[in-house]
Amino acid sequence: MRPISRAVLRSYVCPTCRHGISAGRRRFGSKSDSPDLYDVVCVGGGPAGLGLLAALRASPITSKLKVALIESQDLRKAKAWDLEPNQFSNRVSSLTPSTVSFLRSIGAYDQLDVNRVQEYQDMQVWDGQTGSRISFDWSMETSPFEEMRTVATMTENANLVRALLRRIADSGDENLSLFSNSTVASIENGSDLKPEGPDLSAWPIVTVKPTGPAAETETPKRIAARLLVGADGINSPVRSFADIPTQGWDYGRHGIVASLALAEPATQPFPASKRTAYQRFLPALGGPIALLPLPNNHATLVWSTTPENAAYLKSLPTPAFLAMVNAAFRLDMTDLTYMMGMQSSSSSDSTHSHQDELNWRVQHTPLPSQIPPPATAVQTGTVASFPLRFRHAAQYISPRIALVGDAAHVIHPLAGQGLNLGLADVASLSKTIQYAVSHGMDVGDLLTLERYSSERYLPNAKIGGACDLLHKMYNVPGEGPITWARSVGLGVVDRLPFVKSFLMKNAEGY
Amino acid sequence: MASLRPRTLPLSVRALRSTLRSSRPSPNYLFSAPASTPSTQTHPARAHSTSSVSADELSHFSSLASSWWDPMGHSRILHLMNPLRHEFIASCLAEGTPSPNPTSTAATLNYLDVGCGGGIFAESLARTIPLDPTGPAPTPTLAASMTAIDPSTDLIQMAREHARMDPTVDTHLRTGRFKYLNTTLEDVLAGNAGAPTPASTPTNSSSTSTQLTPPQYDIVTLFEVLEHIDPKTSTPLSFLTNCLRALKPGGWLIGSTISRTLPSFILNQVIAEAPWPIGVVPRGTHEWSKFVNPDEVKGWLQEGLMRAADTGVSRGGGAIAEGMRWKCVGAIYIPGIGWKMVPGSEDWGNYFWAVRKEI
Repeated sequence: MRPISRAVLRSYVCPTCRHGISAGRRRFGSKSDSPDLYDVVCVGGGPAGLGLLAALRASPITSKLKVALIESQDLRKAKAWDLEPNQFSNRVSSLTPSTVSFLRSIGAYDQLDVNRVQEYQDMQVWDGQTGSRISFDWSMETSPFEEMRTVATMTENANLVRALLRRIADSGDENLSLFSNSTVASIENGSDLKPEGPDLSAWPIVTVKPTGPAAETETPKRIAARLLVGADGINSPVRSFADIPTQGWDYGRHGIVASLALAEPATQPFPASKRTAYQRFLPALGGPIALLPLPNNHATLVWSTTPENAAYLKSLPTPAFLAMVNAAFRLDMTDLTYMMGMQSSSSSDSTHSHQDELNWRVQHTPLPSQIPPPATAVQTGTVASFPLRFRHAAQYISPRIALVGDAAHVIHPLAGQGLNLGLADVASLSKTIQYAVSHGMDVGDLLTLERYSSERYLPNAKIGGACDLLHKMYNVPGEGPITWARSVGLGVVDRLPFVKSFLMKNAEGY
Repeated sequence: MASLRPRTLPLSVRALRSTLRSSRPSPNYLFSAPASTPSTQTHPARAHSTSSVSADELSHFSSLASSWWDPMGHSRILHLMNPLRHEFIASCLAEGTPSPNPTSTAATLNYLDVGCGGGIFAESLARTIPLDPTGPAPTPTLAASMTAIDPSTDLIQMAREHARMDPTVDTHLRTGRFKYLNTTLEDVLAGNAGAPTPASTPTNSSSTSTQLTPPQYDIVTLFEVLEHIDPKTSTPLSFLTNCLRALKPGGWLIGSTISRTLPSFILNQVIAEAPWPIGVVPRGTHEWSKFVNPDEVKGWLQEGLMRAADTGVSRGGGAIAEGMRWKCVGAIYIPGIGWKMVPGSEDWGNYFWAVRKEI
């Protein structure tokens, strides 16, 4: 917690002393240095920050609030983002149905480019060690005559960010300030503007500094926030200001992402619109590999593995990389471990050796029925990696402070829940702000914000913990009690429809 | 009125409390306690008393002033109840407003909050007054102004200090659309709120009507006040009659209080004021014998409406009492969930009530 502000102490200080304190403070003060007042200031213009702004602008109760957003990137560029129809950004997220319905409710979903969005109705998850498998689809819940229900919807983050920016632009620019290309230079507590102004000593004042070419000409702006929202990522400056500690650890794993083109499936899906996501746990290589569908037979890859394996995979030439991806969905652990150690050089001879190795080994491997079609091409420049971490802030709120998204929690990506948790935070916080405004509450007051944190803290901890547990269970290689338990566990879950449907409903909900 | 943490008060508060106890003023003085702002002139204590607030109550609540706004302090339960007050008022206004155009969403209603304490309700309502007086009201409570009064100088001072921490509320304080007055209802009615008046002969509430200024308020609120009336100096009847006098025709008198039944005794006296960690309310906050039941409130209001009908003749008021628009709904605090309105639970403890002064 940040130090107790003078405002809180005020009632304990006798009136004479109080007068002495405040008299010395603003002797040189003038009206010109009093900051601009905002109801909600959001630091960070990612999906969570923009989602909050769009939600506030969309509700008739909160649309009159004076709001600001500070983002270091160029938001105009993000709004004009465009790619060729068959090119896909490598930053892709899966949206659960409840996230989609939140986005619909704030009018942002309609602004998505639907041609770049892919729903999937089936998810195949299996264990590379034991072969035990679970299939997530809604077939046991819906009749065969209904359309298949969506498990999740894949979208590029850039598509989502652009949609949210368009939604915000549609709401007009009244009471709205977007500080694009700007960073937070400092956050400090305000001062008592006695006698001509209010007491801002418990209000955070953000100094916004333009970056890039504007840095020379424009002077930093000071804005005061009734509620300062940290949507500013894992190293949140807002969280540091509020002095909120985080707990967590690094997984010692990297996630490799890439945009891939897939071969035509051997058998056409039935019904024709049905799409499938694939995830195979590879205990010997440090984590699961997942292939999530994008439009026109494209897919996005997320492969969690050790940093050494990640470095190796990134160093491979494209055909060898593709061979490794295809091998990871097909070969057994021993074969994969061997291929992960194969000499790779840029000579044409060795680039083919990965594919040859796969071709040879796959003949001797019994293949399960649920494997994805082979990947045929990698989009240039999309192979990248990022470290996997677990973080959870000790609390989400402090007086006049709320944390959302990665600033509050970072989880293992194996269930694709990170963005969904962030947007669920935003849905809850915007609802909390609506409740406060309609009941005369101060939106920055702890009594307001505790409604948000009590709604979100436990669900986030639960899902983050579940992902952590899955990661740890599927990192036990070989034949042992845990390996046996997880295969029995998956098998049992897959065979008990009510347990599975309970799990899916949980995954679907916030 | 309640806290979820140990009720051991900080030393400074204990010291304050003992100071207050040792120099406890007489009820007469307290009733007309001079406001402490420079803008208000002080005046000597008046000889008569029409105050409804007892000295014990006053010192008890003054001693709690310092943690009134602590979200985890002894007033936490009151803070949590506050949104329900807004909802109850909105439900009353949905049945009719004193404004000529009933469907208007303009902020036109003038509020008087009697016994505002540290300003939990008054400040929250002041926050809903639009900064632009011609603009639409942001909430269904349609507030255009708020006058909040309390006989405790400490509490009013603390309420003013707290209100300054919100620029919107601070602006309303400066423009006068939001006022904290260290005064009593009787002084407000006499048109001399906070201002000095020459000592006058003792009057009782029914004979003062000829001296009163015309009623000014569309809504008079009385949250958690009725159960703190001093039976020695006032009665709920005369107090409620005065509240009704402050209302414009068509206006609402809205309050909340606690009923005097066995369940409420167990809840409010045995459990709520039990030693920590069970209790959530400081010991001595409530006196069960002062609690009032819904039918009592209703009876007093019927009588009060007749008395407040300014003819001074109670005969003509019979029709008023019969056609009285009366609302009552219970509210229950469930630990871990919060306050919920539960119709029919009026006799268990806390309840909201409202009455409309007919046009």
